[in-house]
Amino acid sequence: MYRHSVSAHPWAALSRAGGFALVWVVLVGPDLVSWIIGGPFVIAATLASLRLSEPRDRTLSLPSLVGFVPYFLWESLRGGLDVAARVLIPRMRVDPGNRTYRLRLRSPEARLVFIDSISLLPGTLSADLRGDLVTVHALDVRTDVVEGLRVLERRVAALFGESLEPVGDRTTAESSTPARGLVSDPPTHPEGRQ
Amino acid sequence: MSPFLLSVALVLMAGIAAGLIRVAIGPTPSDRMMAAQLMGTSGIGVILLLAPVLAVPALIDVALIFSLLAAVAVTAFTRRRITNDGD
Amino acid sequence: MDAVQLLSGAFLLVGAFFFIAGTVGLIRLPDRFSRLHALTKADNVGLGFIVLGLMPLAPDLFYGLKLVLVWLLVVIAGATGAHLIAKRALRGDGEDVL
Repeated sequence: MYRHSVSAHPWAALSRAGGFALVWVVLVGPDLVSWIIGGPFVIAATLASLRLSEPRDRTLSLPSLVGFVPYFLWESLRGGLDVAARVLIPRMRVDPGNRTYRLRLRSPEARLVFIDSISLLPGTLSADLRGDLVTVHALDVRTDVVEGLRVLERRVAALFGESLEPVGDRTTAESSTPARGLVSDPPTHPEGRQ
Repeated sequence: MSPFLLSVALVLMAGIAAGLIRVAIGPTPSDRMMAAQLMGTSGIGVILLLAPVLAVPALIDVALIFSLLAAVAVTAFTRRRITNDGD
Repeated sequence: MDAVQLLSGAFLLVGAFFFIAGTVGLIRLPDRFSRLHALTKADNVGLGFIVLGLMPLAPDLFYGLKLVLVWLLVVIAGATGAHLIAKRALRGDGEDVL
């Protein structure tokens, strides 16, 4: 089983082992003796990760990552400033409410990054995910929430090398199907609850 | 630099104390969990600030453990169901 | 008091400011979803600035990398935790027997 997964995905195994080795070096510093402990644990972690998360033919696009990190940091900073400005003035400017957004990302990894990033963007918080419909809580529903989500989704799609299908008649699709999406869809989401 | 670091740590601890208000008034378990999360994050900040003051670099490992435990705490909280509240 | 120390001090003050904002938001905001906003965003940015301000005081490179690792873990845990808490509150399962 283990041998099979290593030989089937040699590059995934190697890159993951490299990643875990890097974490170990950061944790304990450049001490050669520490590898007596670290070596076995890096191997064990690699095998566990290959078993728990099957490697796919999907690579992170490095140029997009270089672009994504500053975008992410900048938007996080804006998000912090936005919420600080709203709560610190005597009369708080909040008008909270929910918005539904139809997700176009396919792979679970991309969805996870998207869902987590929503909560760090200014004024938005991912509150639920059922099927393809994300419930986004907005601190101020008067602002244009959807536009920011579009940009983020494009960025995440580029990061994972996905192509998004065109938006099309999003409004009609959304108004005609939310009942189905919200009620009868099986609750499939990255966290997988029991 | 040390007195300055300690004053910043003090501000963070004042934030933790204020967060206790939210724990006290609730009203829902979610609110109390959020306050606990705030304490976790602020606690990590305090520990990171204390490490250079006390000259104990190993404190950063404590901060690392705190950050991992915070994730476990929230996940455990959200997995709790109304049916097992009785025990 | 050189320029680096001044910058480090400024970052630490900004970090403390965001922590205060997060706490104020947690206490003042009207509903729990809005409070989650304040918690995740302000605190993550606050800790980010604290980490940035402590960077020049790091004794070696690995300490600095570990500081970044702590921040990354807090950001991921914070964002995922916020989503989980919001979902639990929204679906009302297991939630909120007053």
